[in-house]
Amino acid sequence: MPEYDIGEIEKLIDGELPWPRVQEIMKDAKDAGRFEMWVKILQGRVAWAEPILLPLTPSLFIVQKDGNNRVVKCKCGQEFGDYRVNWKLSASIYVRDSEEDFKEVYRGSEQPDPSWTQIREYSCPGCGVMLEIEAVPRGTPPDFDFLPDLDTFYSEWLGKPLPEKVEFTDKTLDTVKEWSTSS
Amino acid sequence: MTTEAAPPTEKATPIKDLLATNDDLLKETGYLFGLKDLKRKQDDPGGYEAVWQILLNICNTAWDVGCRVSSSAIAVEGGDALWALHLPTGEAVAVSRGITAHPGLLSHFLRQLIEAGYEDNPGISPGDIFENNDPHYGGIHPVDFDTTIPIFYGDELVAWASGVTHVMDSGYILPGSIGFMNPDSFADGMPVTMERIGQNDQLHPWYEKRVTSRTRVPEFVMGDARGRLAGCLTIRNKVVEAIDKYGVDYFKDVMKEYVEDGRRYAVTRVKNQAIPGRLRKSNFKDLAMKGKRVIMPNQDIDLLFNLPLEINIDKDAHVTFSLSGASSWVPFGQNITPPAVKSALLNAYSHMVGFDMTNWGPAAAWTLEDPPAGSWANPYPVNYFASAGVAWAPAVMWMSSLYESFGRAYFMRGYIEEVAAGAATTLTAEFSGVGQYGTYVAGLSLEQASNGAPARGMADGENSAWCIYTPNADFGNAEVTELWYPIVYLGRNVQPDSGGYGTFRGGLGHTAVWMVKNTPGIEYQCGCAGMRSKVLANHGMYGAYPVWPDRGSYAHGTNLKELIDNQQPLVHERGDPEDPIMANILTANVLETNIITPFITPEQLQEYDVIMHPISGAQALGDPLERDPEEVAWDLTKGWTRERIASDVHGVVVSYDEAEKEWSADAAATETKRNEMRDARKKRSVPFKEWWAQERERVQAKENMDPAIINMWQGSMELSPGYGAELRAFWNLPEDFTF
Repeated sequence: MPEYDIGEIEKLIDGELPWPRVQEIMKDAKDAGRFEMWVKILQGRVAWAEPILLPLTPSLFIVQKDGNNRVVKCKCGQEFGDYRVNWKLSASIYVRDSEEDFKEVYRGSEQPDPSWTQIREYSCPGCGVMLEIEAVPRGTPPDFDFLPDLDTFYSEWLGKPLPEKVEFTDKTLDTVKEWSTSS
Repeated sequence: MTTEAAPPTEKATPIKDLLATNDDLLKETGYLFGLKDLKRKQDDPGGYEAVWQILLNICNTAWDVGCRVSSSAIAVEGGDALWALHLPTGEAVAVSRGITAHPGLLSHFLRQLIEAGYEDNPGISPGDIFENNDPHYGGIHPVDFDTTIPIFYGDELVAWASGVTHVMDSGYILPGSIGFMNPDSFADGMPVTMERIGQNDQLHPWYEKRVTSRTRVPEFVMGDARGRLAGCLTIRNKVVEAIDKYGVDYFKDVMKEYVEDGRRYAVTRVKNQAIPGRLRKSNFKDLAMKGKRVIMPNQDIDLLFNLPLEINIDKDAHVTFSLSGASSWVPFGQNITPPAVKSALLNAYSHMVGFDMTNWGPAAAWTLEDPPAGSWANPYPVNYFASAGVAWAPAVMWMSSLYESFGRAYFMRGYIEEVAAGAATTLTAEFSGVGQYGTYVAGLSLEQASNGAPARGMADGENSAWCIYTPNADFGNAEVTELWYPIVYLGRNVQPDSGGYGTFRGGLGHTAVWMVKNTPGIEYQCGCAGMRSKVLANHGMYGAYPVWPDRGSYAHGTNLKELIDNQQPLVHERGDPEDPIMANILTANVLETNIITPFITPEQLQEYDVIMHPISGAQALGDPLERDPEEVAWDLTKGWTRERIASDVHGVVVSYDEAEKEWSADAAATETKRNEMRDARKKRSVPFKEWWAQERERVQAKENMDPAIINMWQGSMELSPGYGAELRAFWNLPEDFTF
């Protein structure tokens, strides 16, 4: 099984490795220590101190807070709450659903039909980075792209159990229920 | 249970009984065939690897032989074919190059033969040739003909050889092989339903007679039949030679070990690269046919498919796929059966999970939950005569979500080089009519078999070098395509900005421009083998904008000959989407530059008519404001993006050096512009909760929802009550709410 220097993985992440070398890495067996290196590199690139448990996207991370709270946090420091609630519920959103709105991006024969699709742009309320874009018909609940089974991952796949377990469950509808009750 | 339990003696046991035994062994031990240990591999790993390579070479030799014997454009120029070697119980062991969805279908066909008691009636003998193209019995769509022959060593059935080709015409209600218009299975052409079509290595004479009377280009369909058989015979003869060399006991052991090894490989890749948990991805595809040329009155309708994907990866890295929420079957040739969906997953696995040991093994590494009965993915419980003319169309777009979802799991684990942001679409071009040789022609251009590749986690995708349905992307040679069909290429150009907008863009697609030539008249079918025209893909991973919809163009009754005679500029590319070049250069009786696809030209196209056929790029990844400004400038220099996109979408301030013919980016000005754009983004956005409160009212009122959307939601919620309940709960709708 190959092993790579952390500097080489950093170059890979930043797109600085020559393509032939990237292809070699792709074709070879996977390096077992990648996750640890990945987290170490990313931890070094954020200004906050909470340990990263899992990088979710290029901008979002599940981090360990005090009191066994695991929350989603942007690289800018903005927090999005319990990782078992779809983080999109804590994001800012801008929706394009008319020809006029589409025009900034799609024009003429490149434009979709606004009565068939809406473009939902989820961004970080803190730094404004675009986090996800959904193109769906009205009525589609936002995708909860990934709900990780963190305790199984750490205890059974990495052999490094986290200090305290939390229940592996989707709590998104609980939040929506609270909104419904309070509205 | 362990492997020490006495295994059944294969020679003495009917194969049908072995199927049940093997199923039990997998359930009880977790290993295919109960193979806890791969003894042949452990005892002699070098020999194990060497024989594996020999079997692969045998299958690839069959591919070469079969395609050359075939002579059809789709097999020879497009490579839409595959040959495989199977266990006696049907599981594919080794496969050739070609379309990696087929090993599952071929395996399923063999299993169906065995389960149906073919050992007893009609019996299985050396020299027999069996075939199926019927989706009711394991086929995907009837233009894919699955052929198989038994391989005997002495008097023992030790393996099967199989082959599949996509024929140019199988007698669908309309010419060609992309039968999206087929209203029901009675329009699905010539059936071959699990038949013995030959004996003693020869096709029965009545088989050729049926092909001759029931398909439009029988010489090519028979060429394919002979090609499939030639490939199968190649495998049989070479396998017998290999058994002579290595011994029958070794061969029988090692064949099973390769399949179990394939399963282990898939499990290991998931465990080493992914994260356990639940992945979800919505996706949708349209089929807007209202007001167009259709066959039956109930096809005068616009439809939207719901293609939902849920993936659960458990602690053992076993993967479960769900289609809960899939919308209803459709009165078009776009329904697919669960066995075909399962086989399609093998195609996705060969791209995204495992690249070696491609065989039946990975199918035991995952479970496909039964798709909703009555949905496009499981139509027969409700409509046994639903058409599967181009069954692949919705499934291939559903599979694109699997690419993105696995990519997300790999990204989280740090393997960003394995990320694929989502696939391009498959918009096909078929021609039918009298060709340049004065004979009837009906067939598919393979133009769509080279899309852009999806963006990776740290790089753009490659242009025109990738295809979701085959690892062997190849759009064929323009000059050879001109020999097959009465067309001349006026252009085959990279289409700027066709790979979405992100930090990393998808590989770009291209636009083919054809002039109709040397024909008294042909039809152009701009077909749907998996496209979108009204809606966008729900991709745009990590904040990227998805690829634009597929739109078609053509001109009939043009002044092109006059332009050629006068040596004036011709049409070589699409140009501005609001001001297309075709409309500026050509005058024509019919000039369409923005048609919702798919469609079939209402007129016969004639000399000097022009077709502009788009081939899409793949999906992008990341916030477009984070794309390297130098990359944007470099794309401008190459003609791969446009100034408006550079400025309005990527926020890059550029300038052009007339002397050097190069664009360059102003880093400081770009940073300022991007900060302003981020501020504007923040200002126009609202907290999600605020939007949700307003949107739920609009959802409940069905505001600005096309009837196709309402119809889709009705089907999804009725066929999958749990999915419907979750949708209602999310929007806080009454429990009895229906669209």
